[in-house]
Amino acid sequence: MSSVTLRNVVKRYGQVEVVHGVDLDVEEGEFVVLLGPSGCGKTTTLRMVAGLEDISGGELEIAGRVVNDVAPKDRQIAMVFQNYALYPHMTVRQNMEFALKPQKLSGTEVDCRIAEAARILGLEPLLQRKPSQLSGGQRQRVAMGRAMVRTPKVFLFDEPLSNLDAKLRTQVRLEIAKLHKRLGTTVLYVTHDQVEAMTLADKIVIMKDGYIEQVGSPEEVFARPRNLFVATFIGSPAMNLMPASVQARDGRPILVSGSLTFDAPAALASSLKPAQNVTVGVRPSDISLVNAGAGYDASIEVTEYLGTEALLNLKIGSQEIVAQVPASQRPAHNTQATRIAFDPRHLHVFDTASGQALRA
Amino acid sequence: MTSSAREKTLVYLLIGIVLLVFMTPIYLILVSSLKPSAVMFSRPPAFIFTPTLQHYYDLFTMRPFHLQILNSLVVALGSTAFSLVVGTMAAYAISRIKNKRINDVAFWILSMRMFPPIAVVVPYYIIFKSIGLLDTPLALIIVYSTFNIPLTVWLMKGFFDEVPEALEEAAQIDGHGVVATFFHVTLPLTAPGLAVAAVFCFIFSWNEFLFALMLTGSKAQTVTVAVMSFWSSDAVQWGRIMAGSFVVLIPGVIFVLTCQRWLVQGLTMGSVKG
Repeated sequence: MSSVTLRNVVKRYGQVEVVHGVDLDVEEGEFVVLLGPSGCGKTTTLRMVAGLEDISGGELEIAGRVVNDVAPKDRQIAMVFQNYALYPHMTVRQNMEFALKPQKLSGTEVDCRIAEAARILGLEPLLQRKPSQLSGGQRQRVAMGRAMVRTPKVFLFDEPLSNLDAKLRTQVRLEIAKLHKRLGTTVLYVTHDQVEAMTLADKIVIMKDGYIEQVGSPEEVFARPRNLFVATFIGSPAMNLMPASVQARDGRPILVSGSLTFDAPAALASSLKPAQNVTVGVRPSDISLVNAGAGYDASIEVTEYLGTEALLNLKIGSQEIVAQVPASQRPAHNTQATRIAFDPRHLHVFDTASGQALRA
Repeated sequence: MTSSAREKTLVYLLIGIVLLVFMTPIYLILVSSLKPSAVMFSRPPAFIFTPTLQHYYDLFTMRPFHLQILNSLVVALGSTAFSLVVGTMAAYAISRIKNKRINDVAFWILSMRMFPPIAVVVPYYIIFKSIGLLDTPLALIIVYSTFNIPLTVWLMKGFFDEVPEALEEAAQIDGHGVVATFFHVTLPLTAPGLAVAAVFCFIFSWNEFLFALMLTGSKAQTVTVAVMSFWSSDAVQWGRIMAGSFVVLIPGVIFVLTCQRWLVQGLTMGSVKG
């Protein structure tokens, strides 16, 4: 049974519709990430699930129950906010106790839950401190602990790592992953950071302008992006995009982009039309350096050394391309040109007009 | 002298001048209240004299000054408490309601504070006389509250605006209702604001003279009117006036000192993002 189901959920502010007919099933125990740029509607969608925003249309189910008009406290959810939302005048322990107060549990049960959460999250030495005496990472763990003690059916995370520095983000991200593995609770997680999404999610929901662009596992959205937006949003550095047109050579369709020519993937041969405008996409990691043979000569504009790998900013004619190669293979300093080849198995073809990926 | 030492000296000098300006009248009141009447207006002024408590003795024996102090306390504390309760709740609603009209409501409330007291004192007299509230502490509590509530609303709104709504949303998700969230989460965080509002309300109510003069008689007379009653067309009893003035100062000072911890925090809060 789905833990959370959104059926054609819509959100309007006055006459302005900001979330358009979102359909989503979150299975029990699944870690689902809502990913997208600022203003795409991901936080609004999360807040509708939490009950902090009214639903303008459609239906929301949690644990098999329609909860459109159910108060947040009765939805069996717990939320971790972007700015932690810890009560500054209460100690860590009091923060957790306050979260449990409405449940009217016995003192023993409250102590038990707090002790367990503190043990799992390493909060035991911090219980008597106030939030102002904690670091950012500690505050985030306290926020997670406060959510955990309520033993909800669904955890909601609203960009919990966005206020942390890069190193701490990696650390806390790992803790969130471990926590999910340990508790197995359903998680709905909002972020604009694709690294968080790719590393944490069982399923990624990519949103743009209030619409869902694609739903899939990290592998699916990376290897088979449904459209140009997903293709360029997922993956760092971004996918290289080359405008091309469909031409014929020896009875087979080819894709011509300036001085570059690609054999159309066999699966698409029958669906491509002559003179059709397409966009060819190649991920930087699917470009390799070759000494001779099939390939293209490219001038090296800039080389960016990243330790284990290098990014080569290249130019073939007027087309700018980024290649990602192992650091050991990067051309010597002051090298002006190199030769590259594209892996035909990993070419992506999009219809330029609609932006949709062309697949068999 | 370095520039920072020079700046510090200048700052202390300015503080000293301000203190001198504000403390000199209080010093004069205290000294005059302890001077025998014979040397009060001597030329040159008598800096060395035998202090006397006669004026304080006369103050409390010739008039029921202790009852007038009690009246002032009842009125000031009553108005302060009522204004804090009503004003704080109104401020919370204005802060949290997302509505274009709410700004109009807020301005209307503020406009009450701009009203010149002299313009409403006669209508209040007529109203209270017709409903039998003249010469009662309740009349003054009502009148002072009409001035204190707007002040409280505007002070507290600023403090409520500083409390992140995410805290209230977190409490809401945990299962707490609006009232519990307000009293356990929001209000404690605005304690400095409450202290500032309480001090301003109390001082205004304690020091107020015009309404107290016009709306009270013998039963509900407050200390400000009582002190001025020693100034008559026949004689001005300076000693008793000075003694009374000094006694009037004391509760205000005690109140401010009690709230000092939160007062400093409240007056500077919002200037630095926490």
